[in-house]
Amino acid sequence: MIQSSFTERNLRVLFPLPAIVFIGLLMVFPILYTLYLSFTNWNLTSGMGPSFVGLDSYLRVFSEPRFLHALGRTFTFTVFAVAVEVVLGVAIALILNRAFVGKSLAKLLLLLPLVATPIAVGIVFNLFYDPTIGLLNFTLDALGLPQGRWISSENTVIASLVMVDVWQWTPMITLIVLAGLAGLSEEPVEAARVDGASEWQILRYVTIPMVMPVILTAMILRLIDALKTFDIIFAMTGGGPGYASETLNIMGFKYSFEYFRIGQSSVILVALFLVVLLCSLGIMKLRESSEK
Amino acid sequence: MKHKLSKIGVALSSLCLCAGAMAQSGEIRVLVANHPYGELLKLSIPQFEKDTGIKVNVESLQESQLTQKLTTEFATKSSTVDVFMTRPLQEGKMFSKNGWYAPLADYDFSDYPKNIMNAASFGGKPYIVPLVTEWQVLYYRKDLLQKAGLKVPTNFDELEAAAQKLNSESVAGIASRGKGAAAVTQVSSYIYNYGGQYLDKGTAAFNSKPAIDAVRYYGKLLGNYGPKGVTSMSWENIMPLFQAGKIAMWTDASVFYGQIVDQSKTQIPVANFDIANFPAGPKTNAPFIVSSWGISVANQSKKKDLALKFLNWASSKEMAIKGMMGNITMARSSVWVDPVVRSKMNPGLIETRAFAAENGTPVDRPYMSAVGEARDLIGELVIESINTKGTSNKLDQLAKEKANRVNELLKESGEYGK
Amino acid sequence: MKKKFVPTLLFYLLVLIIALIVLFPFLWMLTSSFKTQVDIISWPPKLFFEPTLQNYRKVFEEQDFLKYFLNSTVVGAVAVGMSLLLGLPAAYSISRYAQTKLAVFILLARLMPGISFLMPWYIIFSRLGLIDSYVALILSHMLIALPIVVWIMSTYFSTIPRELEESAMVDGATRQMAFLKIILPLSGPGIITATTLSFIFSWNNFMFSQVLSMERTKTLPIAVYNFLSYAEVDWGGVMAAAVAIMAPAIILTMIFQKYVVKGLTMGAVKG
Repeated sequence: MIQSSFTERNLRVLFPLPAIVFIGLLMVFPILYTLYLSFTNWNLTSGMGPSFVGLDSYLRVFSEPRFLHALGRTFTFTVFAVAVEVVLGVAIALILNRAFVGKSLAKLLLLLPLVATPIAVGIVFNLFYDPTIGLLNFTLDALGLPQGRWISSENTVIASLVMVDVWQWTPMITLIVLAGLAGLSEEPVEAARVDGASEWQILRYVTIPMVMPVILTAMILRLIDALKTFDIIFAMTGGGPGYASETLNIMGFKYSFEYFRIGQSSVILVALFLVVLLCSLGIMKLRESSEK
Repeated sequence: MKHKLSKIGVALSSLCLCAGAMAQSGEIRVLVANHPYGELLKLSIPQFEKDTGIKVNVESLQESQLTQKLTTEFATKSSTVDVFMTRPLQEGKMFSKNGWYAPLADYDFSDYPKNIMNAASFGGKPYIVPLVTEWQVLYYRKDLLQKAGLKVPTNFDELEAAAQKLNSESVAGIASRGKGAAAVTQVSSYIYNYGGQYLDKGTAAFNSKPAIDAVRYYGKLLGNYGPKGVTSMSWENIMPLFQAGKIAMWTDASVFYGQIVDQSKTQIPVANFDIANFPAGPKTNAPFIVSSWGISVANQSKKKDLALKFLNWASSKEMAIKGMMGNITMARSSVWVDPVVRSKMNPGLIETRAFAAENGTPVDRPYMSAVGEARDLIGELVIESINTKGTSNKLDQLAKEKANRVNELLKESGEYGK
Repeated sequence: MKKKFVPTLLFYLLVLIIALIVLFPFLWMLTSSFKTQVDIISWPPKLFFEPTLQNYRKVFEEQDFLKYFLNSTVVGAVAVGMSLLLGLPAAYSISRYAQTKLAVFILLARLMPGISFLMPWYIIFSRLGLIDSYVALILSHMLIALPIVVWIMSTYFSTIPRELEESAMVDGATRQMAFLKIILPLSGPGIITATTLSFIFSWNNFMFSQVLSMERTKTLPIAVYNFLSYAEVDWGGVMAAAVAIMAPAIILTMIFQKYVVKGLTMGAVKG
């Protein structure tokens, strides 16, 4: 009885404890270890252990144009992809937000890209984009449109990758916004209609503002994931041509597992970690203040 | 001194032999690549186990994973590997410098071409038994050349002229790898034939005039007559195009020949595909011929006797002949004169190999520890050259910068000037 | 009948276009997987061709895909199971004691880029000789599954009225008993959602397995990626492999459609 009341009194600690320990071991400890390694110059190819060099690795990585470009590119890719996804996703949700024959089938179709294995999606799109034997250029050619070099050109590679991301993740925005729309009450819309507002005005001044919080949340979820996009870039370009599609994630992977520069790769990983953390915190703060 | 050492060696090896006799039922851990020869080894291991009583735990890995796993295990001193397949030019420098290979003092290397052994030895001592060899060749479409009234190009001027003539809206005149780091091995033969090198005595040399001229020529060829998007192409992108009839000529390693003449992969009659020696450059003709895969014993192995037994078997002439019959171009010289093998092998392969074994350069990349990083750096040069069709006025400056970076890498690992 | 923003005919046309864009890569992949290499690289692309099963034969007979399939299943199932074990009590505690900070802490694992733990894992697991072991792989996949379980279940538990377990506690049951006997049996839909979603995420994970698994524990995404093997390009095989890897996730989605939608949209839409 006493024992059980001990359990009961401390349930708020005991229940989550295993999960906390697990995350502590598998996430917090590795991150601290990475942080420690970022102050060393450890290079596996040297055959020697890590030695402490202070901020040296930071200075070297931060002064590297390749790093700065990767950092910028991470943001370009993310902003570009998320912007398109939100606009398209919301638009599609607004279109589909009515009762129609085959609505549940349409929703099922929308789910498919979300559960498709990204690495396989990347590989399939690779063949699609191939400038010589790819289906995309063939179709353009057949339609009398100019062909592109897509992921083979420094100028179009990011846009081409964004298109794949958009294909895969726009449906998520759509589904979230659809769920949000379903939960709205009809009254404000009816009231506006009674007042003689046009459909466009209702959309612009009633419906969209009401689902805005949902749109924002969907956007945050996508933003955080887009910053970390890895699979499709790795499968399609590996960061190329040259470094033209190298994001922080890809660069960190290369430094870790191809160059074996553990010290410097740790700096890149810390940077990526901070980017994601700061972006998440920033957006959450923004949303809190917008809700108040 | 040398005498004394060899005595100790003999004593040690006899010790090993005793241990070997005792530990007949020992177990070893072997890492092979998912290369066709690795697969052949894997298939043949049960027989080896039956013959020797040694149990072999074999793992087959994709090449970059193999490097990753070996490097990390060795560097963190946690390895239990006894024997492993290794890429002499990719890992050799790093592994030998760090003492991760066991020396192979007693192995009989007389059956291997001298130039290839240079890349398998460090400080004059051999550490790797070469298994597979590959060399740079020119693949071409007989029918297209004939139609254009061209002979097979034998030098760079003819190559360029042919590429220009063969190039059309639907067929690219010539292809070769353009994807930065992946291109570096293929550009090497062009550089050698211009009289340049990647490294000279442990110092970056690809900013020399001949090397830059070669990179320019490569850029001119591919930029003008290459397939669309060539700067993102490695062999896996080029081969399907070649098989689909979209490319007239292709310079790459000899290993792809078997796939090219596989009629189930292409609509074009395979008789139209052919192979020729890599064309000569303005200076010489010394295309790369390298040992792409070798096999070594891990220095930290506690069962070196068993490991050696496995290595001897895996690199034996019998296995090499089996490899040759499976269209794998093996490093041993004797298998190339074996009458049975010769009757099965394609004469084009035999000829181009004989030429390269005689005249070739045994390196196809900057031969150093940080080779992955150096390849990325040199890859930037190649891409710049292709993008500008060889006309870039920044190329000299860029080459200088990259050479400095590579020199830094060499200094970092203590290989500079050595 | 209310007037809609988009007229009906135009509406169905739009729906059709959207459906085609969404479906197109799947259809293309599926048809290509039944083509020979020659047909795939032929120009113009062939609409009509003689279907072949040769690619699937290659995938399942020569490439040992069944083994990778099994690996993916085992890793995913065990990781999800363990995550439920750790995650359900944690989620319950978060929902009942309003432990927001704890929730954020666990969700950090969902937020953070995987590679920032992956590199240290690789070194640590390598020291422990755990590279290419199921243990390492399952632990890493648990870090994918656990935050999803906690995220979905804490939201779900909050929808169950407190009165239910409180009345049981008045009758003398302990809170942990009430959780086990009363709350969990009511949580079926939530658990299905959490299980399906976290399994799919584990199934699709590439980065962790690419580094931590080798030949023995290789999972499907790695097998698909490695399909371009040495000196051979086999697009038909790649397409068949892609179909093989996506099919189970798609079938799961079809079966549990309602739950998957709920899971994906949960948190964004409160309630």
